[in-house]
Amino acid sequence: MKKYEPIDISGDAGLRIWGDGLPELFANAAEGMFNLITDVLNVTGPEEREVAVRAESIEDLLIKWLNELVFLFDTFGLVGKSFDIRIENTSLKAKISGGIFNPQANESRLLIKAATYHNLSVRKINSKWEAVVIFDI
Amino acid sequence: MTIEGLHRIDATRLEVPKGYKAGMRTNGIIYIDEVLEKELEKEAIEQVANVSTLPGIVGSSLAMPDIHTGYGFTIGGVAAFDLKEGIISPGGVGYDINCGVRLLRTNLAREEVAPKIKELIEGFYRDIPTGVGSKGKLRLNSEEHRKVLLQGARWVVEQGFGEKEDLIHAESGGCIDGADPGLISDKAYERGRSQLGTLGSGNHFTEIQYVDEIYDEKIANALGLFKTQITVMIHTGSRGFGHQVCTDFLEVMQRSAAKYKIELPDRELACAPFDSPEARDYLASMRAAANFAWANRQFIMYWVKESFMNVFGTGPKMIGMSLIYDVAHNIAKVEEHIVNGQKRKLVIHRKGATRAFPPGHPELPDAYKHIGQPVIIPGDMGRASYVLIGTERGMAEAFGSTCHGAGRLMSRHQAIRRAKGRSIRREMEDMGIVVRSAGRETLAEEMPEAYKNVSNVVDVVHNAGLSKKVARLRPLGVIKG
Repeated sequence: MKKYEPIDISGDAGLRIWGDGLPELFANAAEGMFNLITDVLNVTGPEEREVAVRAESIEDLLIKWLNELVFLFDTFGLVGKSFDIRIENTSLKAKISGGIFNPQANESRLLIKAATYHNLSVRKINSKWEAVVIFDI
Repeated sequence: MTIEGLHRIDATRLEVPKGYKAGMRTNGIIYIDEVLEKELEKEAIEQVANVSTLPGIVGSSLAMPDIHTGYGFTIGGVAAFDLKEGIISPGGVGYDINCGVRLLRTNLAREEVAPKIKELIEGFYRDIPTGVGSKGKLRLNSEEHRKVLLQGARWVVEQGFGEKEDLIHAESGGCIDGADPGLISDKAYERGRSQLGTLGSGNHFTEIQYVDEIYDEKIANALGLFKTQITVMIHTGSRGFGHQVCTDFLEVMQRSAAKYKIELPDRELACAPFDSPEARDYLASMRAAANFAWANRQFIMYWVKESFMNVFGTGPKMIGMSLIYDVAHNIAKVEEHIVNGQKRKLVIHRKGATRAFPPGHPELPDAYKHIGQPVIIPGDMGRASYVLIGTERGMAEAFGSTCHGAGRLMSRHQAIRRAKGRSIRREMEDMGIVVRSAGRETLAEEMPEAYKNVSNVVDVVHNAGLSKKVARLRPLGVIKG
């Protein structure tokens, strides 16, 4: 099954994301986003981070999670490669494993300013989850 | 043919009538001619209508000819709100708070600089941190960071990176009052700490240009512009600092919209009544980010001057390098405007739009008081950029606002597909334009044909009388993120 695919949108970048459960959906969204920023495979580690975010709905939780990762990349250069995620109601705890972006060695793709609420959706279709997120670049 | 449901008022104005969508409190007016109308997106029209549903909107929900779909508000959107009944919305400012441009003049002519363009562009690329994940040469400690947020470009000049005149020649003097560093989140501080003095990525650039056409001799003279003259344009904003401030407050405003029972047709329009603690906090934080952006452009200008100094072996004053003007593209400001014959204080949101004040406006520097405010319109990297000047009509009709750039035409993927198998860098070189870019795909995304023709956009605001053409600038060399 496809984890994510890019959405064509004028001037910006979006992702349609799939997952068997919410943790997988959130991990695939993170992987998709980091691949918009750089070629994740070329980033060397190890680097680990733990994060916890809480929101009022699942949609908001996805945006907060991705914006936490935007912050970690923009501030520390953290690029996540694997994500151990636990979600309870609308709270998330995650352990992120990856590396630190090196502008000299790693490919520069998109500078993501934020994950937005624009056309945001998170839905369960049959037994699978599907989300749409648009990023401001 | 006019798009269904819309009404063409005249050659440059398209009306989105009040009944176009439920809940509209006023009409929308899109400044666009029949040529650009063909590229007008349905979603952008919806967004112009959506803004008109917000409480306390004064006049029409406006959009400039470089309109395209944004988040909540369109890019190219201008909207004024009453200070008592109205709102303020981070979505009406955008993520890159005080993204803007500044234009420097020189007394060098094209032929003197042409053989040295490559060297200058290499100098820019070396001295101005550019691209995804690049860190600035500066590390701010907490006290310095606080001063940047309070004093903007003023602090940078005090540190020796510029001249006092630079401040006179910038919108709001390169520093807007009322910023409160105490309201800024730790995250925004951390994200901004090593990003001051960095260009960023995407459509941000530093470009060497020459004046190839003068439309108004008198005003060009007053601005110190002459044909074949070399100019430098800098386009960047408040970087990760501003992005984080916007992200933080969009969350606050989601809650406040519910708290104050403001019905939103789109979550990105999240807002708070202007007269509320949430709005006061956002305004003071947005101003801090705006000051960060002015400080950022001030530093980058200093390095541009240094590059010229190194290449020409002389001081910037000897080659007449000075700031013509600096304008903000993404900002909300409290301003005085005349509405139905009455003077009123309003909060004007400009998102991908430029302030364009007329001659005589008290906020203009003395040197420009008789001509009006210079407006700087960057185009794509292959075609042209423009200098315009503010007008009375723009003040009366559009709250002293005009367009801000070319506006995108193609999506990223369309542009990348279109560029496949081509070397955009070589194509630009064949056109006589030296390009240096940090990102591999940036050049494809930013290729000229990915944008509307800025000349068409500028013609609309000129013909509509929102601002007047003064000079056209052609690119010679550019660094991109």
